[in-house]
Amino acid sequence: MKELSRAQIRDLMAQVLKNQGKVLPADDAADLREVGFRSLDFSELALRVEDETGEELNFDAPGLRRIATVGDVLDFLVELQRQ
Amino acid sequence: MSVGTARQAAVHPAGADNRIVVAGATLTWRDLPELALPGPAAVLAHSARHALAAAHHHAVHGTELLVSTASRVDTGMRDELRAAGFTVAEFGAEAADPAAAGLTAAGLTAAGLTAAGLTAAGLTAAGLTAATRPRPAEPGRLWLLTSGSTGRPKRVGHTLESLTTVRGHQPGRTWLCPYAPGTYAWWQVVTLSLTQAGQHLVVVEPEQLDDWPALAATHGVDAASGTPTFWRRALHRDPAGLARVPLRQVTLGGEPVDQAILDRLRELFPAARISWIYASSEVGAAIVVHDGRAGFPVRWLDRVTPGRPTIGVLDGELVITSPYHGAGLAGPVRTGDRAQILGDRVLITGRLDSDEINVGGSKVSAGGVRDVLTAHPQVAWARVTGRRAPLLGQMVVAEVVPVPAGPPPTGGAAPVAPGDGPDEAALVRWCADRLPEYAVPRRIRLLTEIPVKETLKSDV
Repeated sequence: MKELSRAQIRDLMAQVLKNQGKVLPADDAADLREVGFRSLDFSELALRVEDETGEELNFDAPGLRRIATVGDVLDFLVELQRQ
Repeated sequence: MSVGTARQAAVHPAGADNRIVVAGATLTWRDLPELALPGPAAVLAHSARHALAAAHHHAVHGTELLVSTASRVDTGMRDELRAAGFTVAEFGAEAADPAAAGLTAAGLTAAGLTAAGLTAAGLTAAGLTAATRPRPAEPGRLWLLTSGSTGRPKRVGHTLESLTTVRGHQPGRTWLCPYAPGTYAWWQVVTLSLTQAGQHLVVVEPEQLDDWPALAATHGVDAASGTPTFWRRALHRDPAGLARVPLRQVTLGGEPVDQAILDRLRELFPAARISWIYASSEVGAAIVVHDGRAGFPVRWLDRVTPGRPTIGVLDGELVITSPYHGAGLAGPVRTGDRAQILGDRVLITGRLDSDEINVGGSKVSAGGVRDVLTAHPQVAWARVTGRRAPLLGQMVVAEVVPVPAGPPPTGGAAPVAPGDGPDEAALVRWCADRLPEYAVPRRIRLLTEIPVKETLKSDV
């Protein structure tokens, strides 16, 4: 199974934001609310990861967690690919 | 021949001498092969002419009949039909040799009974499979298989009378018949030609579907009925070729009809009458609109006129009480189609079970999003669906076929340079300007060809 690196997911995240007329900051600690990255954007990013890897992500697996920063999103999706 | 003359005078339908163009031959209803059909019969046709011959046979003899293309009926369905009392008759499987299939351009042999595998002696053919539970036939009964968009095809009972919805005298027309034999839409065109003189038919075989405008132009087709998908494909493939068909009547049906497709056809055929029809095997033809606008006037709702269907909207669903119901159906029928009132129009946007996409609790009509996409000047076709997504449950996604590169057929939008079609981002922006945020498709896949099923519909 093809797995995307954290950097590749970051590129996809930048693309999602760019399509919304927004910019992904370089700092992983940036707050998602300030970046303007919302549920719809997160969902789109997940679909893009699925399309790149050709595998469905299992969102039920890791349980609930707090996703507040750019880094949280990247960590979460990297981890999800391994479930 | 006196016997033949007497029979024709007695029972041939009013349209028996109409011209039929089928498989390269021009003939009339009378010239079609005389099939030997034991009732009740399920005719599985491999070619259009055998299906037409079966319809004509029914019009003359009233034999209880179901007509379908052979490809729609699998082994399980075949067994079901035999258990329901039908003799299954397969015609035209060896149509590679036209003489063996019982029909030549010159017409019939004197013996008459020359259809595939049959001899004058009758039912000796390998093409006939007897019923497993024989029963007496019900004369005059016609059976349709529903299109199966809701699952497995089911049988709906009709008669020639209940399928004939155009009764008033019509101006003489040469109709294109692109529909699969045995479907409700096919019967609409077939009954019109059988029951009215001056209504000729030009039949499109499945392998001719991509190039029908050339066939239609050659044979002077001036009226054509097809699904929006059928029309979009023709506009997409060869608008100039389509414009050469001298159409005076353009009819759409079988799928939701949006304003964009009506407008594009109007541009190409400014003088034609453009109509859309809401019809189904279950309720018959219930709504016919000629004003060139999507949807129908709100004032038509709940209007009761004897002999005409009554149309209502209940919980966003189109409900129809029709004199043209299939057998066994009575009273209001819930159609399963979503109806939405917008200003002075009632719009039918799609199937309820597949039209609604729930994006994190917000309800999105797939048909509504599709209409926004197809309204883009560079979009020829679009399909909108829900896709499983985290946090929201579902997300709106789409597939789009852009119009071919090059200038559009007539005025209107600015010319499109090759390779200059809309990309995903541009289409997302187009939708974002016109839809609530949650309804904007975030993933849009670009295709090069419009996918189509045998029913000429594109919805799976």
